Amino acid sequence: MIPAVSRRSILLGTAAASVSSILPAAGASEGFNFGLTPLFLDNDIELLAMVGRYLTKRLERPIALIKRRTYHEISAMLLSGQLDAAWICDDPYVQYQDKLALLAVPLYRHKPLYQTYVIVNDSNSAQSFDDIRGTVHAFSDPDSTSGYLVTRWMLALRQTTPALFFRDSFFTYGHRNVIRAVGAGLAQSGSIDGYVWEVMTEREPELVRRTRIVFKSEWLGFPPIVTPMVIRDMPAVKALGRGAARHAYRSARSKNSERVGARRIHYRNAGYVREH
Amino acid sequence: MSRFPRLPAWPLTLKVPLLVAALMIAVAVIISQIVLTRLVKDQETNLTLLANAYLDGLSAAVLPAVIRGDVWETFDVLDRARGQYSGVEARYAIVELPDGSVLAASDPTSFPIHSPVPAELRSKFLNKDGLVINDDVGRAWLTRGLRAEGFSVGQILAEIDIASLLRIRSQVVLTLILVNGALAIAFSLIGYFAVKHMLQPLGVLSRYVERAREGRVEPIPERYRKKVASEFGQLFDRFNAMARAVSDRETLASHLAEQDKYAMLGRLASGMAHEVNNPLGGMMNAIDTIQSHSEDPEVLSKSLDFLKRGLAGIRNVVRAALVTYKGGSDTSLLTPTELDDLPFLVQHETGVRRLRLDWRNRVPEPLAIDGPAVRQITLNLLLNACAASPFGGAVAVEASRSDGALRIAVSDEGPGLPQDMAALLTSAGRIAAPSRESKGLGLWTTGNLIKRLNGVAAVERRETGTRIVVTLPVKTEAARHAA
Repeated sequence: MIPAVSRRSILLGTAAASVSSILPAAGASEGFNFGLTPLFLDNDIELLAMVGRYLTKRLERPIALIKRRTYHEISAMLLSGQLDAAWICDDPYVQYQDKLALLAVPLYRHKPLYQTYVIVNDSNSAQSFDDIRGTVHAFSDPDSTSGYLVTRWMLALRQTTPALFFRDSFFTYGHRNVIRAVGAGLAQSGSIDGYVWEVMTEREPELVRRTRIVFKSEWLGFPPIVTPMVIRDMPAVKALGRGAARHAYRSARSKNSERVGARRIHYRNAGYVREH
Repeated sequence: MSRFPRLPAWPLTLKVPLLVAALMIAVAVIISQIVLTRLVKDQETNLTLLANAYLDGLSAAVLPAVIRGDVWETFDVLDRARGQYSGVEARYAIVELPDGSVLAASDPTSFPIHSPVPAELRSKFLNKDGLVINDDVGRAWLTRGLRAEGFSVGQILAEIDIASLLRIRSQVVLTLILVNGALAIAFSLIGYFAVKHMLQPLGVLSRYVERAREGRVEPIPERYRKKVASEFGQLFDRFNAMARAVSDRETLASHLAEQDKYAMLGRLASGMAHEVNNPLGGMMNAIDTIQSHSEDPEVLSKSLDFLKRGLAGIRNVVRAALVTYKGGSDTSLLTPTELDDLPFLVQHETGVRRLRLDWRNRVPEPLAIDGPAVRQITLNLLLNACAASPFGGAVAVEASRSDGALRIAVSDEGPGLPQDMAALLTSAGRIAAPSRESKGLGLWTTGNLIKRLNGVAAVERRETGTRIVVTLPVKTEAARHAA
């Protein structure tokens, strides 16, 4: 079963699955807590509200979309059982692989892969990763693969650290914020999720236009939707995963999805979801 | 020396609007000054309030991030605050750490993180919380310290664009100038027309006074009286009362003059009777002589000559009287003979007072001038001179023509013509008739006649006596024929 789906359709799909009657009592007897990392764009309040309404209607129970400022907070909530499921970054998943179960992985351009981009302010003359030495660098989140880990790895290869390599660096706790920081000149370079940068080029071209890519990483595993290992077999969670895939397939081609999403760009990224 | 006439000499219709305009301008300047001062003060107060509100919001939002030294959060707050505070157009805002370096600024390109705040820029800000306003460059600089638990953790420096406030000020100035200018012009025009309207009665009064000066003393008609303010109404009433008094007095004076004329006629008639009677005795004697010595041709001849001379004298006196009082002579012409008759009329006066009459008529030909009037003028002056001269004195009359004018000079050896009497002759304007008790009716009549003929009289006081010179214009020959 390989339905076409976008990352956002997955969100809608979690709600579309008729899992209300089989959700486990553990963690969410009354409702369903779904965690979102800052990978979900901070300023997409409208979409968030629509997702919330949609999931609530589909699951026939209150759906709480939980957002936190940092990846770490979502990971901690997930591990402590405060969330039933979450869309997290691949780095925390790898870190806590023994405690988290994979429900689904969104496909980006038909593959469950994405890249890290290192960007610079458009006025900067840097052409490669090494050219950003001595700049002020904006990281996204210490638990973000694309927003921190890859750049740290690149520096480790060069046997250096951010403190030595960059003139200064700071965390913005959001990929969009990295673009803002680099675009405004607060930082001259930044580490960002390639998926976010690509989406932003169409959603906020004025902002993205002030930045330029100087480095693209190798392909990495896409941020997954996970659930605590302890409740992985709960029917509700399993059904959520299946429902997400099934509904995502349908909704990607339905008028309803067109109406709810209203952002065709996301369907351009339609790909495959593999059930775990 | 000013090219402009002194202010008091300007007409009221100009002075009042100018005064109104000047007052309006003065009031406008004062009010504008007050309004602008108040506006500037209010704007500064408002700016201070707005700036404080801006800084309150900003400092509250930014303080946690500053305490943590969080560059991004600080920038995020500053960046989001841009355009969020209506009335405060922040050009940039900087969060400065206690060591003088930039934690973050809304314009990170100009103020990179962890770089020192430029000294030149720093000098524009106060070292304590407050506001520095510079109207010349249209900027204000705000300083707000960030404190946590009594410790300074940094401060916010912000530059505010106050061009909009200055624009409002200049708009207010322009509005004040336009409105006040329009009001000054409007009030000046209203003042001009109002004063012009209010002063209309003065024009009427002036017209009637001028008529009175020309000899036509008329009261101001009632229709004008009804339309004017009470002050002018009273003025009109007084003028009319004066006009009536003058009119009554002139009527009386004319009446008196007529009486005087008849009195003089009586005196002349008695003088004439005397002049006629004198030769009559001799003539009767001559007739008696002729009757008794008719056979003596020599006696007859002498008696007849005597009779002839006597009759000729009587004829001269009678003819002069006829010409003077019966009229009938041409009023547009004066012949030399008409003047030469006058000594006969005063023969009695000169005879009684044994005066020497030096009569010099140098008018060679008839003149185009009112003959009877000239005879009357000359006769009156001559009689006046005879009356003024002492017993046995000399009276001189000289009539001559020069430069298109007839000049008659009458001199006497009297005590001198009093000032008020002389004024009756020499005054250019119309003079009220002397009262019944006072003398001078003859001179008043003479003065009026001289004015009627557009002539002038001059009174010269000499060592002994007075010389009165009357100059009367004579029409040219062409004008006379045309007339």
